[in-house]
Amino acid sequence: MSSYSEDKVAGSFGSFPKGFGYGPDENDTDTQASSSEHKPRILLMGLRRSGKSSIQKVVFHKVSPNETLFLESTNKIVKEDITNCSFVKFQVWDLPGQIDFHDSIYEECEAIIFVIDSQDEYMDALAKLNATVSKAHRINPGIKFEVFIHKVDGLSDDHKIEAQRDIHHRASDNLAEEGLENLHLSFYLTSIYDHSIFEAFSKVVQKLIPQLPVMENLLNILISNSGIEKAFLFDVISKIYIATDSSPVDMQTYEICCDMIDVVIDMSHIYGVKDDAAFDTKSASIIKLNNGTVMYLREVNRYLALVCIMREDSFEKQGVIDYNFLCFRQAIQDVFEVKPCSGHASMALTSSSDFPQANGAIK
Amino acid sequence: MNAIISLCHFCEIHGPQVLFCTQPSHPQGIEGGVSGVGVVVEEQYNTMQLLLSRTQEQDGAQDLKSLVSEPSTPTPSSGNHCEGCYSVKPGFVSHDDDVKVSYVSSRQPHNREVFSMIRQACLRSLTGEVCPGTEGPIFFGNDQQGHVISYSFHIKDFQARGFQRRYSIIIVMMDKIYLLNSWPFLVKNLKIVVEHLQEKAQKVHDVEQTKSPREPNKLASFRINPKPARSLMELTEDRNIFKILHVSFVWILKACGNRITESLLEGPPTEDSIIDMEKQEETEEGFIKLFKKDDTEEDIEEEKETEKEGEEEEDEEESTSAVQNIRYLLRSLGEKKFHILAHHAVIGNQIIVRGALKPAVKAVLSALKCIVPKGCCRVVSYSQEYEASWKCNFLGLAPDVHIPNHIMATEMFVLVEVISPEVDTTVPTTISPPGLDQLRECDFSLASPTTLPDKGPAVLTKMEMALKNENLTQEVLEQYLICLKEEWMNKVKVLFKFTKAGGSRSEEDTKKLLQVVGAQEEDKQLLKFWMTGLSCHYKTHILSTTKSHH
Repeated sequence: MSSYSEDKVAGSFGSFPKGFGYGPDENDTDTQASSSEHKPRILLMGLRRSGKSSIQKVVFHKVSPNETLFLESTNKIVKEDITNCSFVKFQVWDLPGQIDFHDSIYEECEAIIFVIDSQDEYMDALAKLNATVSKAHRINPGIKFEVFIHKVDGLSDDHKIEAQRDIHHRASDNLAEEGLENLHLSFYLTSIYDHSIFEAFSKVVQKLIPQLPVMENLLNILISNSGIEKAFLFDVISKIYIATDSSPVDMQTYEICCDMIDVVIDMSHIYGVKDDAAFDTKSASIIKLNNGTVMYLREVNRYLALVCIMREDSFEKQGVIDYNFLCFRQAIQDVFEVKPCSGHASMALTSSSDFPQANGAIK
Repeated sequence: MNAIISLCHFCEIHGPQVLFCTQPSHPQGIEGGVSGVGVVVEEQYNTMQLLLSRTQEQDGAQDLKSLVSEPSTPTPSSGNHCEGCYSVKPGFVSHDDDVKVSYVSSRQPHNREVFSMIRQACLRSLTGEVCPGTEGPIFFGNDQQGHVISYSFHIKDFQARGFQRRYSIIIVMMDKIYLLNSWPFLVKNLKIVVEHLQEKAQKVHDVEQTKSPREPNKLASFRINPKPARSLMELTEDRNIFKILHVSFVWILKACGNRITESLLEGPPTEDSIIDMEKQEETEEGFIKLFKKDDTEEDIEEEKETEKEGEEEEDEEESTSAVQNIRYLLRSLGEKKFHILAHHAVIGNQIIVRGALKPAVKAVLSALKCIVPKGCCRVVSYSQEYEASWKCNFLGLAPDVHIPNHIMATEMFVLVEVISPEVDTTVPTTISPPGLDQLRECDFSLASPTTLPDKGPAVLTKMEMALKNENLTQEVLEQYLICLKEEWMNKVKVLFKFTKAGGSRSEEDTKKLLQVVGAQEEDKQLLKFWMTGLSCHYKTHILSTTKSHH
């Protein structure tokens, strides 16, 4: 997290190329928070038709993957503000692949997601990746580079590994030629047809959260004291997890947890008392699976949910788990309350205190 | 209009691209080219109807191409062009012989600086600016990069991602005021062009849709490797689409140029020039109709005299010869009679000139006109019957026209009989230059039922002095008369403002004011009459400002 020590001056949003007309008035339309809080910016880049807009649509707009086939080609920057609807605050900018943007676009961004179409010939994409990385790094050394090897749903497992290895190898070689061997690129195999894109996005976002180690540690303490096998801290709206314990993430576990959130939200929408709050302080759910495991969901705050998986026999001591959870929730809230003093403006997290009244909690 | 209209699109492969530019080109710039293209110049143009000179697909093309590419065309490498970016090769030219302007349509403007402006505008229009509702007009720009009206829109394409492609038409101009003033006209007409394109593309799209497989899976595979981009011709299934665009753009440029003309003002406008400007009134279509106010006058004229021969040309010469004529009039009438006549004229009494010789009658009228402000002149230059004084204060009549008795009894008028020698009637209107020649041979008799006070208005006295002063040349005299009229018009303005602004003014106040502006009792009538000649512009301005005060 040391790379996050440089302070970004809040409110200096106008640095986008003037030639493209994103002047100061663009800021006025942003939420009021933008002037006081800096929102980390994630750029979605890559060649045309690599799937940038589809990723954005699927992750943040709940668009069905099949429908992305009919998306129009993106002709201008599409900004996605994950500020108002979610606990985690950041902006995702979807850039058209056809245009080379002015250098200043890199100045205020925290991470670049470079999307490569694995079903297509990717040499051009690698060249573009190399050019982008070296340029962006020169302008803003703090940028994190994430490479999504995308559309892997069409590839066999062997192919996937092979593609990742090949791309990794070539990209590193290219960077080494430029004298940037120390620069770290993270690679992810992604597809919009399964949860891999959510997982990859989770990891990208996690890197932007300065409180991540603390939260991971809290989760570790929680699971070891409660007999829980795996615990995720989910952003309810986008279903990306902002933290998990240190045990490895199993794809299936992640998927089933995502599905559980969907179920809870949907049920709450249908049977909840109030229309507006599908998820509130008393939201909780227990799902027992026939293989002897239990899934347990609890609300942490308005935007966050804790989803745990444990053995059925561990769940017999539910009182202990609930007590531990209350401790955990208090700790999480404490973590985010110190945010203003931390001096790190890089990841703005809010701790919401206005919990709505209880409504349909599901048991 | 000194602007460039161009069509831009967002290419699937290359991003924003300029497809087609139409710009006016003044002959000195492309002299060689125009003569090279040759024959086309023969084309005749009517005022509004521009003909597309020739679609130079093959033979004439070479000439134009050399011309276009000569001055350092920014040549994009040929590999940089796909079918979607297909445009015209090399382009079209239309010549407007009336105003010596050629309109050149090509893929890019041949001037490098202009190209970079267009390119920049294209980028902004397609990838930068957001217009409300994704389709429609938007204005942006600056003094360095030019000001731009951009109209962005979608064209249906069944094979494209999202089933549509993004295009925009941009109009780039350096003159912001002019461009914005033309906004209503430009946007309306761009919309027509755009809708035409969209309509055609929609038809093609619908046909393709019915042919395509229904199930989404098949559709997906069908769409996996579509052509990356198709040209506008293919999308509209119209081989002539660029010709249509050329004609449309040329028309827009030309019509927009005709719509608003800029005039250079040397100093503040005189009251007379404002009156002239007011005669040009805007019609509903947004075009300027010339001499609207004159209509009534001309109508009457046309009714009365069927053989209306080349009056416009006469008008040209009038101003100089009028001054000459008025001097002659002064000499032939004698100072005393002239004074009476002029006095009647400046205070607005009807002047009736009766005579067989039409040019002579006209010359007398036009001569008298130059001592009265333009706004006060209502002229019927030669009529076959009497016109009431509220219609005209300068009336020319045929010799045998009888003036009604009640007029004779009541109206304030002065009748001038132009008695022409016998010889002249046999040689009627063949002698073209009006004025002196005919006037010389005429005698005048003056009759008026009303008598005026001996002392004329001060301005008239000054005018007469100047007319009598032979040391002044005609030009000087003319300017002097203009100055005198303007000086007194200013007094009239003050008086107008005074009377309209303050509500009720006492007799005392009015007297004081007149004293201040240096007007005497004898000037009152003149001031009152000249007040009617103030421009509408000034009147409404005064009335609105005084209203806002209260």
